[in-house]
Amino acid sequence: MMRMRSRQLRMVRIVLLGSLILLAFRFSPSADATVGTGERRGSPEQSLAIVVNRANPVDNLSFSELRKIFLGRRSHWPTGRRIAVAMLDYGQPERETVLERIYQMDENGYRNYFLRGMFRGDVFMSPKTLASPTIVRKFVFNAPGAIGYLRATDVDDSVKVLRIDGHLPLDKDYVLQIDAGR
Amino acid sequence: MSKTTGNGSSGSPVRRWFRVQRSVTRAPSWRNYSFLLFMVLLAEVGVGIFVLRDLRQSYVQVQKMYEGSVRGLRRIGELQYEAQETRRSTLYALTTNDGNLQVNYADQSREADRLVTQGIAEYLAQAQLPQERSVGDRLTNDWKSYLKIRDEVLGLILEGSPKEAVDLDLAAGVPLFEEVRQDLEEIKRLYDDRASQRLSVVAGFFRRSVAKLLAAFGFGLLFASIALWAIQSSKVRGAVQLANLQMDFVAAVSHELRTPITAILSAGENVRDGLVQGRPALHEQGSIIAGQAGQLMELVDQVLQFAATTKGKPWHAEKAINVHGLIDHSLRNTAAVLQEEGFTVEQIMDPTLPAIVGDPSVLSQCLQNLIGNAVKYSAGSRWIGITAHVEWDRDKTYELQISVRDRGVGIGEGDLPHVFDPFYRSPQVVAAQIRGTGLGLSIAKRSAEACGGRLTVTSELGKGSTFTLHLPIPEPAGAELTAAHMTSIGDRS
Repeated sequence: MMRMRSRQLRMVRIVLLGSLILLAFRFSPSADATVGTGERRGSPEQSLAIVVNRANPVDNLSFSELRKIFLGRRSHWPTGRRIAVAMLDYGQPERETVLERIYQMDENGYRNYFLRGMFRGDVFMSPKTLASPTIVRKFVFNAPGAIGYLRATDVDDSVKVLRIDGHLPLDKDYVLQIDAGR
Repeated sequence: MSKTTGNGSSGSPVRRWFRVQRSVTRAPSWRNYSFLLFMVLLAEVGVGIFVLRDLRQSYVQVQKMYEGSVRGLRRIGELQYEAQETRRSTLYALTTNDGNLQVNYADQSREADRLVTQGIAEYLAQAQLPQERSVGDRLTNDWKSYLKIRDEVLGLILEGSPKEAVDLDLAAGVPLFEEVRQDLEEIKRLYDDRASQRLSVVAGFFRRSVAKLLAAFGFGLLFASIALWAIQSSKVRGAVQLANLQMDFVAAVSHELRTPITAILSAGENVRDGLVQGRPALHEQGSIIAGQAGQLMELVDQVLQFAATTKGKPWHAEKAINVHGLIDHSLRNTAAVLQEEGFTVEQIMDPTLPAIVGDPSVLSQCLQNLIGNAVKYSAGSRWIGITAHVEWDRDKTYELQISVRDRGVGIGEGDLPHVFDPFYRSPQVVAAQIRGTGLGLSIAKRSAEACGGRLTVTSELGKGSTFTLHLPIPEPAGAELTAAHMTSIGDRS
């Protein structure tokens, strides 16, 4: 009996160890900054990449930091560079996804938030509204402190993709996915 | 004692007429002037070639000036504009808060800066002088420094920091852009200098070309005028001389004809008037008439023959001639005189003489004249030597030489240059009353020349003369002889 129990314990330990190894592998940081590693979930068309200027030394942001930046509650990068947020124009799926996932507001809430924030001084700077993903990409390329978002398919070498909570757009647990219906 | 041919004095009008006639018909003087005109034309062509060369060099310089300087200046103008556009677009971005417009201005600025960078690289690739490379390198560095500031200014504008952007532009952008502007001005000045240098070279070519052209036209006009004037006056002078001497010729020939005619006339009158009695006297008068008529005939024949050679027309028919046959024919035609005078003819002939080409009657007449001349001036020696052989001549070819030698009176040194002149007779011969027309040797010389040969004479006063007829040996015999001769020379060396 004792022998059987110790054998069962050993089996449980092995299973737990294996599970831990699998978990560690799953959450390990990716070497590929653009494509991502681990199990894939979202398609490139539906994944929304957060992009910054290539000169920006920041590679990874937590989702809460990202939210602070987009809400205008953080004004400068660690380098001292002023943060400039680029938003796509009204009605575009990328914008709606950002409003929903990052701002967690609708258009009215977004507008009111920045009106009030700028008036009260809670918000340091309101985002720039740009007409197309191409202009967003050029904006980020030209402004060292810029941050914006693009579909993964619109990303090129002129900008750098940030990890959000350690995940790249094509990773399984990446949070910024455009709804298939949009 | 000298040896002469023909009758009449050296200064006779007949001889002078023939000289002038030859000078007029052949027109050597205005040929000389034509040659002068030709030389003027050649000089003009030469100067023209020089001028053309100058023009070509001018064209090359202008082309270089265009390719190097004018195009370079235009390119620098474009660079200046694009550099201004780079800065202008950056500053335009300051004038708006619209992010889309700001991005467009940034694009424009970057496109202009790309053109400037490309233009600077092209300039550096074409730069040849150290000064050009130096200013090109300086411009490259200044432009890169300005672009760094420009990028920073653009970043600040897009990030929403216009004040910082303006401050940075004023502090660093403006002075750096001024450096760039000065560099471009320096390049422009270098192009200007190069263009000025090339322009001065072209101006030099132009001045030289104009001077050469003026000189050429001036000298050409001068020489052409002189030549035309000389030709015209020569023609007029010749025509006047010819007209005068035609009269002299008629008078001279009349004089030459008059002597035998007078003798014939008086002999005839003597017979008609019965002044001649008896057979011996009649024989004597008949001999006078026959002799004078023969002299008259000889004079007329020789004048006609000489006139024929003077016209310069093709008056002979060429064909292959056996040299032995030619000499035999000439001796047969003069046999009567030779036998009558009791002459001994000694012949030394090469038995293997090649055939020659010429007019047999002309060459025979030439030899007959030489034999007759030898008879006339033998001075009682009664000996004539005829030799024929092939000789290596001065033109490095073989030729046939037929010599007629006598042991007669010989020719004085002063008369030798004139023995072939028509109607020339030395004063000594005239004094010795040796009969002749003075045309025989002249006709012989022309006959030799008409057959492509020449006639020469060597003589010593009191010892005799040797007249040699030189005739070319036709191909292929001549070439074979020459080749054999060259081979023998090679063997000896």
